Amino acid sequence: MLKRIFSVAALASLVLGTATAQTSLTGSGATFPEPLYRKMFDAYNKQTRVKVNYQGIGSGGGIKQLTDKVTDFGATDAFMNEKELAAAGAPIVHIPTCIGAVVVCYNIPGVNTGLKLTPDIIAGLFLGKITKWNDPAIAAENPKVKLPDMSVSVVHRSDSSGTSYVFTDYLTKVNAEWKDKVGMNKSPNWPTGIGGKGNPGVADLVRRVPGAVGYVELVYASVNKIAFAQIKNKSGAYVTPSLKSASAAAAVDLPDDTRVSITDTDAKDGYPIATFTWLILYKEQDYNRRTKAQAKAAVDLLWWVVHAGQRYNEGLYYSQIAPAVVKKCEYLLKSVTYGGVPLLK
Amino acid sequence: MAEFHSLNSADARPAENKGGAEQAPPSFKAARGRVGRTRGRIGEILFKILLTGGGFVVLVIVAGILLSLIVNSVPSLAAFGPAFLAGTTWNPSGGEFGALPFIVGTILTAFLALFFSLPFSLSLSVLLGEYFRKGPFAALIRTMMELLAGIPSVIYGLAGTFFIVPLIQALEMGIGFVPYGVGIISASIVLAVMIIPYSASLGKEVLELVPEELKEGAYSLGATRTEVVTRIMVPYSFSGIIAGITLALGRALGETIAVTMLIGNMNAIPENLFAPGQTIASLIANEFNEAGADLHRASLLELGLILFVITALITILGKYVIRKMSVGGSS
Amino acid sequence: MEDTILKTMQDVILKTEDLSVWYGETRAVKDVNVSFAKHKISSIMGPSGCGKTTLLRCLNRIHELNQAVKITGRITLNDENLLDIDPILVRRKVGMVFQRPNPFPTMNIYDNVMAGYKLNGFRLKRSRADEIVERSLAGAGLWKEVRDSLFKRGTFLSGGQQQRLCIARTLALEPEVLLLDEPTSALDPHAMTKIEELLVELKKTVTIIIVTHNLGQAGRISDYTSFMYLGELLETGPTESVFTNPKHEETEKYLTGRIG
Repeated sequence: MLKRIFSVAALASLVLGTATAQTSLTGSGATFPEPLYRKMFDAYNKQTRVKVNYQGIGSGGGIKQLTDKVTDFGATDAFMNEKELAAAGAPIVHIPTCIGAVVVCYNIPGVNTGLKLTPDIIAGLFLGKITKWNDPAIAAENPKVKLPDMSVSVVHRSDSSGTSYVFTDYLTKVNAEWKDKVGMNKSPNWPTGIGGKGNPGVADLVRRVPGAVGYVELVYASVNKIAFAQIKNKSGAYVTPSLKSASAAAAVDLPDDTRVSITDTDAKDGYPIATFTWLILYKEQDYNRRTKAQAKAAVDLLWWVVHAGQRYNEGLYYSQIAPAVVKKCEYLLKSVTYGGVPLLK
Repeated sequence: MAEFHSLNSADARPAENKGGAEQAPPSFKAARGRVGRTRGRIGEILFKILLTGGGFVVLVIVAGILLSLIVNSVPSLAAFGPAFLAGTTWNPSGGEFGALPFIVGTILTAFLALFFSLPFSLSLSVLLGEYFRKGPFAALIRTMMELLAGIPSVIYGLAGTFFIVPLIQALEMGIGFVPYGVGIISASIVLAVMIIPYSASLGKEVLELVPEELKEGAYSLGATRTEVVTRIMVPYSFSGIIAGITLALGRALGETIAVTMLIGNMNAIPENLFAPGQTIASLIANEFNEAGADLHRASLLELGLILFVITALITILGKYVIRKMSVGGSS
Repeated sequence: MEDTILKTMQDVILKTEDLSVWYGETRAVKDVNVSFAKHKISSIMGPSGCGKTTLLRCLNRIHELNQAVKITGRITLNDENLLDIDPILVRRKVGMVFQRPNPFPTMNIYDNVMAGYKLNGFRLKRSRADEIVERSLAGAGLWKEVRDSLFKRGTFLSGGQQQRLCIARTLALEPEVLLLDEPTSALDPHAMTKIEELLVELKKTVTIIIVTHNLGQAGRISDYTSFMYLGELLETGPTESVFTNPKHEETEKYLTGRIG
């Protein structure tokens, strides 16, 4: 039923697209890179007259709409797992477009900057085991900071989110108790705290509630001037989240399909809660009566995103992908075919 | 209502006679003699069909909603059975779903809202239904009330964030609770404001309907106006007031956006009124968009079904109370 | 003229002096001077719209519930000006029964009788309340009929019984004066007769003033009769003399059915 509605909608957009003699592409998914995609697609439209409609409906929705074959591409903060790939029915290509960092932000009166947190402290806070900001474990890492005797209020996402996925993916890697009790999920079963809807919702609650601790994308903490913590990475260094340290986290050996988690990175100066975010598309583009022109337009768009489009990243607080990653993307995009024939040379 | 009914059946009777085989020829002749009458009769029948059609559509819609909720929640119904109602864990990653925290959250916020709103909605009803029935002040208050009813709930959510949350936060700090600001109490207060117009406007209508002679009877026994209102008018219109309350409760049970913004969105049974919680409606709003797994979707839909049932039960209960309490119900 | 009337009345209990009632610019009752004798039945007659009900409703100040009404003049009860007393107290002393029976539908018979006390917040001992209920219902001739259903709602009673319940409710407060506004016009002849008998019995303990449209009723039960026409009180006198020898042309026309 739902599928039928979507295909009608797709058909309608197709009809409208040809009527205006303008190629139009449709994609949907992750909300985290949505500002970047909007900016990129707007610029792309001005350059090429190709119109790209992007709906930020969440990573899960993006995967679902792509595999329901109602969109030209999807977008996700968490790469598709084996089960999802199997359900897709045909090979899917992942193209990383930027690197995002999730920061642990806090609202401790008198502590405006520079709080240092270890992985275990973060897990302790979000498990509800550390309930006071002057807990000895925090004090030990922050000898110069005057920590108040204040209750910790955990703030998390109330909606299903790729940000939650990255954050819990990190905690699952670094803390055994977290792995047992909660694990990684886009909507995990939070042991404690209050939920805010979307990054703005969490940022707003953290700003309002004294003693709050939450997690948001770097851009939201920066724009809203909320204090965020330095985090001890795998090699024992305290790293401040930034575009640079997030980029550094991605300097790892990348598998050929780019499906890799870069949380808890091995990189020495890498920020440990960082992630790629991907655009996804079918490797064989001849499906659901799409035209070759449509398929070509999709691949051209993605090619542009990983090359010329990258210059928009940093202005919007997203890290660029490293040249080595771009190389992999080129290789992957060249493997995309229409009727078995590669679309790019 | 009763009059409408009797009119209707009075009209229906001659129509039946005309349809009867034996009587048909003469009445047809008579009818042909007066074309205007015939046209009136056809119009009558068409009008009736239109009305019946409207009723039928309502029936189909309700049945359709119920059916689609049931069909879509089959995976969850099969997986958990009645234990779903008592389950307290909501863990999409572990595939474990229980409805209790949300049922508790829904009922708690709705009834708390009702409790907060009653003093205001009752006094508003009395104010508009007895003290200021006409005049510029009454018009002003009435307009304001209509305005309250017309404000989109997201605006209530925002207003709650800016006015109620800081107040509750200050209170929580004062009494040593975690100063979340958001939680059951904040959501309930804002809900209370949202539902005031519903119970107040119905209360006003029914209080206006109290017969003048009853009020005079009480006055002639030396009752003051307050006594007339509290001991004669309110008891007389009790069933209507209950109807207003039921309406308001239904609104409170289903309110989504404002609650989502203020309740704290914590998937657990609230430990106290200041704790964050989650209602069925707010949970669905939060999770349905990205509910990937079938069981997760089905569980959310089953919660929708539960909300439907709760609302239906309260409506039925309200109707029962109305029938029990209504004046002349015993005769 | 007035003096002769007053002489024939022993013990005036209630009296109006230059009583006028205004609805905005219109005057519904014009300078009425009338006296009512203690423990008698006085009837007020007149064609529709003559102001008789308005006059009656002034006597226990229930007319003032309508804020558009303005009253001038004096009404004295035992030489005390009622317009200077709290209307709440006035209404306890001067009870009223209306055209249509209006028992409180949310209360049972017992509570209806006690309504005057309950509404005014008096707390009475159970035995005292029981006594009042029995005395009032007996006074209204209803005790025997409802003694077994005191705790049922009064709505199942017949119209006549309901009206007698309203009388009982008023008697419970032991008023000095009982005002009745066409109390039998909504009842059948049988119920009317019962009420009329009851009123004749009641005048031993309470002064009765009745507004009626029904000439026969006025003739049968009232000791004094007043006749109102276009807001003015044209004449007052012993019923027999007003009926047999009216002083005004309009009174005669009314009595013979030429106006009314």
